[in-house]
Amino acid sequence: MPVENYIDLLPVILLGIVFFGSAVAMIFWSVRRGQLRDFDDQAKVIFTHEEPEGEISDHFPDK
Amino acid sequence: MSQAPKNVAPTTPYSSADASIRAELSEIDASLRVSSLFFITSAIFWLMAGTVLALIAAIKLHEPSFAAGSELTTFGRIRSAHMNAMALGFGNNMIFAVCTWIMARLCRTPIRHGGLLLIAGSFWNLGLTVGIAGIIKGDITSVEWLEIPKYATPLLAISYVLIGVWGIMAFRFRKGEHVYVSQWYFLGALFWFPWLYIVAQVMIIWAPAQGVVQSVTNWWFAHNYLGLWLTPMALGTAYYLIPKVLGRPIYSYYLSVLGFWSLAIFYNWAGVHHLIGGPVPVWLLSAGIVASVMMVIPVIVVAINHHMTLIGSRLNWWKSPTLRFVVFGAVNYTLVSIIGSTMALRTVNMTTHFTHFTVGHAHHGVYAFFAMIMFGGVYYMMPRVLTREWPSASLIRVHFWMCALGILLMVFALQICGWIQGTQMNDAINYPDFLQIVKSTRPYMIIRSISGVMLMVGHLAFGLNFFWMLFSAGAHRVQQEGPTLLISKKEGSKT
Repeated sequence: MPVENYIDLLPVILLGIVFFGSAVAMIFWSVRRGQLRDFDDQAKVIFTHEEPEGEISDHFPDK
Repeated sequence: MSQAPKNVAPTTPYSSADASIRAELSEIDASLRVSSLFFITSAIFWLMAGTVLALIAAIKLHEPSFAAGSELTTFGRIRSAHMNAMALGFGNNMIFAVCTWIMARLCRTPIRHGGLLLIAGSFWNLGLTVGIAGIIKGDITSVEWLEIPKYATPLLAISYVLIGVWGIMAFRFRKGEHVYVSQWYFLGALFWFPWLYIVAQVMIIWAPAQGVVQSVTNWWFAHNYLGLWLTPMALGTAYYLIPKVLGRPIYSYYLSVLGFWSLAIFYNWAGVHHLIGGPVPVWLLSAGIVASVMMVIPVIVVAINHHMTLIGSRLNWWKSPTLRFVVFGAVNYTLVSIIGSTMALRTVNMTTHFTHFTVGHAHHGVYAFFAMIMFGGVYYMMPRVLTREWPSASLIRVHFWMCALGILLMVFALQICGWIQGTQMNDAINYPDFLQIVKSTRPYMIIRSISGVMLMVGHLAFGLNFFWMLFSAGAHRVQQEGPTLLISKKEGSKT
């Protein structure tokens, strides 16, 4: 593929625009779905009744 | 349904008392047992192969006559075989094991298509075996980070597509609305990698672009392999494991989201700093340098978050095998990124370019940061997937100390060596003889080989512990006092 001009890179540039567009769409999606609200509660979603908050879940046996 | 267990914050919709709404973590863990064992076993195999290849290459740098009898073991081939075995073999198999497991847990969905992961894993390992055999045979391409010959890459691509499809399906059928920051990182990486790989394959291997465009593409891909694939996977793992093990939420969730999006914006630009001083449009290099320095934002954000979560935990992180590795990795992420941003400055780059400094930096990033966090992930994951304890706490300690000290020794040796080497190469008046400069690196190369032996010992301890755990069925079932805690001290109930 001879590249002597930016126009030669048009397919790559178009692909980049598609990917960039998808990333922007993801931001809008996350804002619309409320992903960027209530941060304190959202940080706790990793805890369940099997592995609850406030309990250390990994240690060496003799420590 | 509204009655949540008393030890669960009522604000989480994920811990519903209704089992049809909630998926048990133990159920999810069990559904991934076969695929995760396959990936970790493969990863350990590649780790061992990669370490042996690394040692051969390292010894050749101070004993050039070592293993010099055959063209199969020339430095160029062995070094590239080492790098592909580690980055694509060890790194990706670890990612496929640890990150799919965390993804499934966060999506709260037991795996329905475990077979898909196994097929993908088989293709990946087959493609890689063919590719690395091709490299050693002499079919290596001349492009760094894309050395695997043309005939093996389709296998890798098929495998990657299957993993990507799996990730999207797990996300699509998730339970609950919220997307945790680790999921953002994993989804981002799954989305970025095909972009990188397709563009690099087309523009370098299938329809090679001519001139500097090819090298720009090369370094855009190579740096982003670390920045937009290994880094988000390791950061997502750390963002899950640090709060999880300590039982306390991340210090600032707001900052974690900011960190993700700023990484997404800046990292993609940074790769061209590898070509500083080269015949590349200056605006392109300047944009790359600016982006490299802007990476300080996500790095500081992640550093604040990880380190502030640890503060006040009364050294509990040191008492956890998992967090020992993860915190070591997180600290080194901060260090390696700040050093990396500095290296992108033109004045600093004038000294570090074409020296061992860069090699030290690469190992600092991929090993001290990425690999150590992944080891931590395996230590947390395996007891839960197998419902069995790690058989030996001593072997975990050997693994940690050998790898932590080994990699630090390597990074120090290579970066001190590289700086001296760079200073001498820039001073043609006092150091006119290039070969003399090469010879003066020999003591540091010997230290590097010693550090390689230390890493080898650590890896053997890890492999031994893993296979001991795997094959001694029943012998080390969950006990009250095991090397990693599966049983709550207070309740004595199995998680």
